[in-house]
Amino acid sequence: MREAAALARIYLRMLLGYVRAVLEYRTDALILVLASVLTQLAGIVFLTTVFAQVPALGDWQRWEVIWIFAMVVLAEGIGSLCFEGTWHLALYINLGGLDYLMVRPYPVALQVMGSTLGPNGFSNAVLGLALLGVAATRVDVDWGPVTVGWAVLLMLSGVLVKLAISLASNTTAFWLRSPSSSPAGTVHTLGDLARYPITVYSTGVRAVLVVIPLAFVGYFPAASLFGKGTAGTIGAFTPLVAAACIAGAWAYFRAGMRRYDSVGN
Amino acid sequence: MIEARGLTKVFRRADKPPGLAASVRHLVRPRYAEHTAVAGIDLSIGAGEAVAYVGPNGAGKSTTVKMLTGIVHPTAGEIRVCGLDPHRNRHANARNIGVLFGQRTQLWWDLPVRDSLALLRDIYRIPERRYRARLDELEPVLGLAGLLPVLARKLSLGQRMRADLAAALLHDPRVVYLDEPTIGLDVTARDAMRGFLRDLRRTGTTLMITTHDLGDIEEVCDRIVILDAGRIIYDGPVTAIKDRLARDRAVHFTLADACPGVDLSTDLPGSRTVAGEDERRVSVVFDRFVHGAGDVLAAMARHARVVDLSIDEPSIDDVVRRVYAGAIGDALPDRVR
Ligand SMILES: Nc1ncnc2c1ncn2[C@@H]1O[C@H](COP(=O)(O)OP(=O)(O)OP(=O)(O)O)[C@@H](O)[C@H]1O
Ligand SMILES: [Mg+2]
Repeated sequence: MREAAALARIYLRMLLGYVRAVLEYRTDALILVLASVLTQLAGIVFLTTVFAQVPALGDWQRWEVIWIFAMVVLAEGIGSLCFEGTWHLALYINLGGLDYLMVRPYPVALQVMGSTLGPNGFSNAVLGLALLGVAATRVDVDWGPVTVGWAVLLMLSGVLVKLAISLASNTTAFWLRSPSSSPAGTVHTLGDLARYPITVYSTGVRAVLVVIPLAFVGYFPAASLFGKGTAGTIGAFTPLVAAACIAGAWAYFRAGMRRYDSVGN
Repeated sequence: MIEARGLTKVFRRADKPPGLAASVRHLVRPRYAEHTAVAGIDLSIGAGEAVAYVGPNGAGKSTTVKMLTGIVHPTAGEIRVCGLDPHRNRHANARNIGVLFGQRTQLWWDLPVRDSLALLRDIYRIPERRYRARLDELEPVLGLAGLLPVLARKLSLGQRMRADLAAALLHDPRVVYLDEPTIGLDVTARDAMRGFLRDLRRTGTTLMITTHDLGDIEEVCDRIVILDAGRIIYDGPVTAIKDRLARDRAVHFTLADACPGVDLSTDLPGSRTVAGEDERRVSVVFDRFVHGAGDVLAAMARHARVVDLSIDEPSIDDVVRRVYAGAIGDALPDRVR
């Protein structure tokens, strides 16, 4: 536990190093960041009017659907705000950028993940949290200390599942060795499907969302919170699924590092 | 300190011919071209040794260093560094070793050097007091103070190398690997770097230096390992190489007037005068332990008006050629593999 805290503290310092670099020495980049955040926030205003139109889907009420949507958006926001470097992994591998990271006493995966920060993540995280806040007052849940705690745990688990999927899909770069065509992008696009109750899809699509476990980012945890039958029962295992996903992605990454060949000059 | 046995690295490059049909075929049945960069080397380096690891381009020097440091997983063979397997015990190993690749920096590009070093302090979990003491130690030799507030991307090559060296040595490693630490440095910066490396040796640090520069080897190392095509062809004291194989130096002159038949062999016994591309160019090859470049210039000036000159130091490639030619084989048969 103390070890985890130490790792987290160092991680934060690395992220802040990047923030400092952008804030103090890269004013050009800063302006772009601010512009993109502003456009995204403007989008939120537009979205609220859209959400007023969201219908009930099957036995999912409108605000329950929005809850799923919000969890996925939040997970994506946190992912890009704090772990954006994951998406640069292929670049690191193909340019030999892991060399120095490999000789430091800190996990290589975390050094890559914390190497940069995705500014769009900020607006997504804010949007996700805002929607969750509003939805919390509209859904049919008896909020008490236990349900709030459970909801938070489910949310964190969803974030971890998303993170593990990103890490694992980007880790394939160790095997593919090409900077451009990455299955990570495809998986990320599939993630958009996970913003809605998977019951609206055909069996095939559902199976994909369960196997890749994107459905555990929003759908299943929400089902657990709202007590939706079998899906809800499965959803209660979200924290375990998250732990397994992280462990799996971590092991996969370690296996990948054995294949790392650096580059010749 | 460093023990390697049967160390081998085979790189597999996808042998992907151009064209769509070929790409599809590659997907179905991938074909690879194999390239053995390091072919079963044995190496044993004791504590406090300073070893020069040399060889022509593509010999496998950097690949060896990457395996010894745990960056690249060997295809075959065993490595122990301070008793640890560097790839398996990555984190424990990282605390024992310092690494510098002269060709690339480990500094955070958009941050001042000070911030990069502070991040490394956090990563290595160096207590603040030790960190300050270490910076004070490195300050006089590396001249860090002037570099600390500068952005890494604004450093000159020489400055960057010093800052990178500070980064590699921050945690006071017992074993230090330097892959071309003087590459691209001007004469002054190179001398400063060599001076620093000599000091580092004196502190008992084990050094392994990859270089193409004989000067680095002579001034810093006592042992030289020569690699060619992935195999060690010589492993022995630097003095033997220096005295036997790296004696010849050449001065190339451009003269004001054509001067056919000029010959300095009477002025400088043992030297050879070689005609150049045209009649105004001439080269003098001499033993650098017998004559100085100044003597050669003075001698030439007695015969002709010198317009320009350049000096060729003996190169590693010459040394490798002469090892093959057997120049050292009879002298030290047990050392040559
Ligand atoms: N990551 C890699 N993938 C494929 N081949 C590689 C890789 N790294 C090195 N090689 C090849 O292996 C051989 C040895 O390379 P290496 O970089 O170890 O040589 P070197 O002795 O350091 O040469 P130099 O003096 O040019 O630095 C070269 O033929 C190189 O092309
Ligand atoms: Mg090299």
